[in-house]
Amino acid sequence: MGKFNDLNEISIHFSHTEGIPLITTEGKKLGKLKDFFVDYEEVYPAVLAIQYKSNNQLFYVEWEYVKNFTLKEVIIEHDCFIGRSRSFPKAKTNKVITSLLANQFSGSTMEFPPLGKIILDRQVVDTSGKKVVRVNDIQFIRSGQNLRVTHAAIGMRSMMRRLGYEKFIDFVVKAINPKSLYLKNEVLINWKFVHAVPNKNVRSNVRLTLSDDEIKKLHPADLADILEDLDSYGRELIFSNLDPKLAAETLQEVEDEVKISLIKNEKPEVIAKIIEEMDVDDAADTLNELSDTKAEQIISKIEDTETADEIRELREYQETTAGGLMSKEYFEVAPESDKKSILEKFKKEHDYIENIIDIFVTGESGELVGICPIQNLLLCDDNVLVKNIMISEDIKSTEPETHWKIVASMMSKYNLMNIPVIGEDKTMLGIISVDDLLPWLLDEK
Amino acid sequence: MTKKLNVPPFVTKIIVLLGIVGPGLITANIDNDAGGIATYSLAGAKTGYRLLWVLLPITVALIMVQEMSARMGIASGKGLADLIREKFGLRITFYSLILLIFADLGNTMAEFAGIASAGEIFGISKYISVPVSSLLVWLLVLKGDYKIVERVFLFGCLVYLTYIASGVVISPDWGEIATAILVPDVQSITSSDLPIIVGLLGTSITPWMQFYIQSAVVEKGITTKHLWHSKIDVIVGCTSMLIVTLFIIICCAATLFHSGVVITDAKDAALALEPLAGKYSSVLFGVGLFNASFFAAALLPLATSYYVCEGMGWESGVDKTFKEAPNFFTIFTLLIVISAALVLIPNIGLFNILIGSQIINGVFIPIVLIYILKLCNDPDVMGEYTNTPTYNFFSYLIIFFMILVNLGMFYFEFFKK
Repeated sequence: MGKFNDLNEISIHFSHTEGIPLITTEGKKLGKLKDFFVDYEEVYPAVLAIQYKSNNQLFYVEWEYVKNFTLKEVIIEHDCFIGRSRSFPKAKTNKVITSLLANQFSGSTMEFPPLGKIILDRQVVDTSGKKVVRVNDIQFIRSGQNLRVTHAAIGMRSMMRRLGYEKFIDFVVKAINPKSLYLKNEVLINWKFVHAVPNKNVRSNVRLTLSDDEIKKLHPADLADILEDLDSYGRELIFSNLDPKLAAETLQEVEDEVKISLIKNEKPEVIAKIIEEMDVDDAADTLNELSDTKAEQIISKIEDTETADEIRELREYQETTAGGLMSKEYFEVAPESDKKSILEKFKKEHDYIENIIDIFVTGESGELVGICPIQNLLLCDDNVLVKNIMISEDIKSTEPETHWKIVASMMSKYNLMNIPVIGEDKTMLGIISVDDLLPWLLDEK
Repeated sequence: MTKKLNVPPFVTKIIVLLGIVGPGLITANIDNDAGGIATYSLAGAKTGYRLLWVLLPITVALIMVQEMSARMGIASGKGLADLIREKFGLRITFYSLILLIFADLGNTMAEFAGIASAGEIFGISKYISVPVSSLLVWLLVLKGDYKIVERVFLFGCLVYLTYIASGVVISPDWGEIATAILVPDVQSITSSDLPIIVGLLGTSITPWMQFYIQSAVVEKGITTKHLWHSKIDVIVGCTSMLIVTLFIIICCAATLFHSGVVITDAKDAALALEPLAGKYSSVLFGVGLFNASFFAAALLPLATSYYVCEGMGWESGVDKTFKEAPNFFTIFTLLIVISAALVLIPNIGLFNILIGSQIINGVFIPIVLIYILKLCNDPDVMGEYTNTPTYNFFSYLIIFFMILVNLGMFYFEFFKK
């Protein structure tokens, strides 16, 4: 006895199942099909139970009691167990009903929300296309005695199907252009790339057990684009699950408005952790978006006092000037250092400093005496002293008050990858590199 | 160490001030667009002070509706189209968005009619002013900054303060006006008043405003902690709109209604400013009307295409390319092109377009309100911030009266004539 003996189709659409009558083997009408409960823990989730509606109330019947499934009617075994709940309790260890009660008290059952409710018409993250999309339809495939979820449909064709215009539009398109791509290609996302977005609307006792691993594998810049497209609730939930390092990298990429909304409601300790992972100049920019009291609260929670002081210092400068843009992390050596000791230092420090291109040679009171491009040093003998190969005449530098546009035109004129920022008495304050200026040049700020 | 650069203090003050202007205040003022001015002027000129009492319940209704939309945005963090899609499914979303496009096509037409009327005051033919403006509007949205457009628009709305000044100069019988506002004069309503009432309703409580305020609230990221601030923001915004509306009607009633002028074009409506501005009244009115129409013609199609894309799940955003977001740019461009083209039809009554579009709004708004109410009562959406039973009672009462007025209008317009 197969459940699909009278079903011709191999794959079926969610939209075609809505409202199918459920009838018992005795011929009693139970209600109309509303939704499916599936095992979210599987890659291609199998249907565990069918949710149906009768007299405006929601019930469910488990898949094993389904005798015959067609798109006209679903035959259910007579006198089977009928559950009355909006969610489906799934025991983690075994599925015997008596132990389920026990499980509920020990806290090891899972409440599964219905599939359509959390996926259909909602935004999901397509982790392969790396964007946020809205689901129009869901595709199942019959495999053995099971019905499994395989794809989320997002294109125009699935939209027309939901609206009930599929045949009409097909007819029109065929008449105009029989070779149209619309007829052949349905825009589908493979279920393993579908990541449901945490939703406030699904009651809080129901947990979505989809893993965040796929999300964490995304590039921070892609993740930032995705967060920008989500509503504030889903955005904050995904963000708060990121580890501080990824959170910091993502935060550097998102738009200012989204950035504020992400950090506004977090605890100061949590933001302090994220801020510590950022480059000091980005950290200062981020804190500048907050009120002074809030920013100070966060800075005081930063464990590394040196970082905290540097951030405080940078916050003194206007955002649009060299001082506001500069980074405090640069590769700095004394004039008497030789190649060997510099390379030793390089090994130790290159983790903390972004793109080391130039070596900045500073005197005893921190004044800039010369610059040596790292490639020049590499080409020299091992015992060479940096003061003998550095450029010390006519060093191109800028003051912290200089506007970023002037800095940019200077760097363009002299073909510089980075430029030192010097204060009174030629004290080295920091450097500005090209990538600090790019967002401003592209008008992304 | 160098301190932050000094910005002139007045610049900082203006920036801070603009930052405080809340979504409620902005939305309520964008409501005073070309169609609004036309409807108020007509109401004053045709019925004098007789319908002033209608404004009070309309304002209360507006406050309640806007408060619900704002609360929904705060509680759910989502836009209205988004919520309609998730709660009611694709089919309902699709048809309501089609209605929204239709209503906003009417509204955009009204804005272009406003531009044409303003042009005519200065002797510029609509065949020049409308095509040029529509091209400018299109470029402004694609190349300009949406926030700046919004602010320039609001700044231009200060022109309406001249109605208040004009009202003071006219010095009408304030006692009579107070009675007209507070005491409903139901007996004197005639069947020809019904389209005006629907128009007043439609121009005050528009469908797209509800989408607008909700997305503004979401965009600002207001949290439930600031629910009360947002309520005050809505009340202040709606009240300021009420005051402007009141004075427009009073000015028109005191000048046009008393001298028996029938408004047929914008020149007539400008007469209401004569006591204040004398022979410059038409210039003042023309500039005000042009500003309101031009910037609203930019904001409306843009906002509409955002909501449609939000509900349908299409890519949107002016920073995208046409290839990335084809539906967004198509809807936006078509709205501008079609409405500008329709206004250019020879011998079309510009003033009738202005009023007619507001009537479409008035007919459509009860449907949107029913969705809003259903959403506001859904704990899945609102959490603990659902409507109270009393609030629901009055909301349904408002919808009931809206439908009643609509039915009355249809009855008298189509069956009694």
